[in-house]
Amino acid sequence: MTSAYVPGLEGIVAAQTAISMVDGENGRLVYRGYVIADLAEQMSFEEVAYLLWHGNLPSHAELDALTIELGGSRSLTPAATAALNALPTDTDPMDVLRSVVSVQGVEHKLAKPTVALAVHATGSFPTILAAFHRRQLGLEPVKPRADLTHAANYLYMLNGKESSPELVRALDTYLVLLADHGMNASTFTARVIASTESDLASCLVGAIGALKGPAHGGAPSAVMDQLEQIGTAENAERWLRAARKEKVRFMGFGHRIYRTYDPRARILKDMCKRLNPKFYDLASKVEETALAILHEEHPERPQATNVEFYSAGVLQAIGLPTEYFPPTFAVARAAGWTAHVLEQSAHNRIIRPQSEYVGPEPHKPVPLAERG
Amino acid sequence: MTEFSPGLEGVVAAETAVSEVDGANGRLIYRGGYLIEDLSPVVSYEEAAYLLWHGELPDRAQLDSLRKQMAAARHLNSAARGALLALDPQTEPMDVLRTVVSAQGASKSFTKPTLEEAVALTAIFPTIVGAAYRRRLGKEIIEPRDDLDHAANLLWMLEGTEPAAERVGWVGTYLVLLADHGLNASTFAARVVASTGSDLASAIVGAIGALKGPAHGGATLAARNMLDKIGSAANAEKWLTESHARHERFSGFGHRVYRTYDPRATILRELAKSAAPEMHRTAARTEEIALTILHEAHPERPNATNVDFWASVVLTGAGVPKEMFTCVFGTSRVAGWTAHVLEALSDLRIIRPASRWTGPEPGRKPLQLAKR
Repeated sequence: MTSAYVPGLEGIVAAQTAISMVDGENGRLVYRGYVIADLAEQMSFEEVAYLLWHGNLPSHAELDALTIELGGSRSLTPAATAALNALPTDTDPMDVLRSVVSVQGVEHKLAKPTVALAVHATGSFPTILAAFHRRQLGLEPVKPRADLTHAANYLYMLNGKESSPELVRALDTYLVLLADHGMNASTFTARVIASTESDLASCLVGAIGALKGPAHGGAPSAVMDQLEQIGTAENAERWLRAARKEKVRFMGFGHRIYRTYDPRARILKDMCKRLNPKFYDLASKVEETALAILHEEHPERPQATNVEFYSAGVLQAIGLPTEYFPPTFAVARAAGWTAHVLEQSAHNRIIRPQSEYVGPEPHKPVPLAERG
Repeated sequence: MTEFSPGLEGVVAAETAVSEVDGANGRLIYRGGYLIEDLSPVVSYEEAAYLLWHGELPDRAQLDSLRKQMAAARHLNSAARGALLALDPQTEPMDVLRTVVSAQGASKSFTKPTLEEAVALTAIFPTIVGAAYRRRLGKEIIEPRDDLDHAANLLWMLEGTEPAAERVGWVGTYLVLLADHGLNASTFAARVVASTGSDLASAIVGAIGALKGPAHGGATLAARNMLDKIGSAANAEKWLTESHARHERFSGFGHRVYRTYDPRATILRELAKSAAPEMHRTAARTEEIALTILHEAHPERPNATNVDFWASVVLTGAGVPKEMFTCVFGTSRVAGWTAHVLEALSDLRIIRPASRWTGPEPGRKPLQLAKR
């Protein structure tokens, strides 16, 4: 029995999952039963990654073991380092991540995905990005430190010095908030690949490729660009109304699932206020005006600020260059992607949907000689 | 929300004019409305690829122009060469393909998929496959030849000697037959990646990852390995009976979509008589016994021989090394992957299905680490 075609598979259940739930009606994001707001400000990325992988929060001993394991997974293989150094320094960091994760993962061969492999892959993302960033600056890579947390070590490798606890905490919260989000396109890509019994690295490079798309994780610079063009809070209303006349899209608004406020955006907004007041002053005014205009146009549609809007301000405050926003999203989501691959692999059935043929009815081909 | 259909079986996930798998009638239709059995005797791989991209068969001038374009695109760029040489020569060939395609497609700025990129990516596959194999053997890499067609170049770069026309013909037919097949898992992976607005290389890298899975592209090698174990027609009955008694799955049988004989398997089966006469005898006897055993065990199920079974025999006869089977499958399917991505661009909508929550009731409060 074939069901009717639903574009984008909207509303079609493609998997059963116990990892995360996006409750769009009520504006809730739930990880393994915990509401995101209860995790975001107190948990480290490590604790949440453990939660996503195992289903429960780690004890002290379990967290220590994971910290050691992650610390031991931060070095790149010689092949990965060589591949990274072969890429031109102006390469998009998402392409760098996709290519080097592919190399770093070759040792997995066709091993069935395991938590150990998930930890290993997740551990390597910051090292790849930091090493490439240093290379772009003409600097030597900074060796990872096993005594620092995932967030602290990422910033340490990028900058060559430790960041303040406040910024490390901010990055930790960002990573926790973005670690998983239901059956989004990149996670779904990872599950489709896992469903063929392929290896973890293959799933991750596919997911990175999907995240690169502007409609998914690839467009935070668009938020920054638009805010830059608007320039000042006073200019917001005039700019946005003029832009709307020319059918310019407002960047950072709208989500297929949330019918109310995205809970992550709310937390990031508060962080922006604290960490990046200059950004906040402009962004909050732009948000208020944009939502009002969108509501005037479509009062029937729920209009929500999405996670990218205030992420931009938080990541800027942390000191990340704009082109590292999307791959830093990947640093967070690696935990979710790998958790979903493990779940898919434990209850697998190949994901092979149907298509509806809209081409011509069969007829005979004309041989080349008769085609002119 | 709909019922959960594991593996999205029977769920229509796209409208397409690229190809149609008509499982009920055992027909495979390529773009333009051509049945695979009508097409394969009259077209080269280049013509089939042109058909999948453009919707019509090329005339002489269009074909010549495509061949020139492909010849010019058969060389690795410096990033791809660097990534290739960074990998251990014994790296699993699909990992080499995944990595080198990723590096070849790495760029400094984001670009939407184009037909020109589709041609270039398709053209580069035999170069990577040849180089991966030569490095495995510790032999020098063979440069592509502009005067050879796609199928001949593949054998040339694997072997370094000009292949006999007969073998080129077998490989060419294989490449035409496998070039597209509805929404199989790798094509679907490519379309999900593309649905985020991502670039062509990302979509193709995701597809390679999916094809690597034993439940998808790895099945041809599995069929060959089974035939190797069986060894001779005389041993087929004993081997299969024992294997069935151990509840092992027979490789090369069963397909979700075809309810009758796979039309590609029919063509390859015939071709195998001349390509690999000895192995054809073993395979024909194996097929006969396997279908009998499977029918006895599950009279209600259609137990059709799938394309992988006979493809393994033809590729063997054509002299393709078995460790390169999955890569050669990818070398064919890349035309379909790219055609699907280009088709999806005309009405891009992010593929973001729903999931069903099977985790704990939301809202439990996390314990502080100290209390765990």
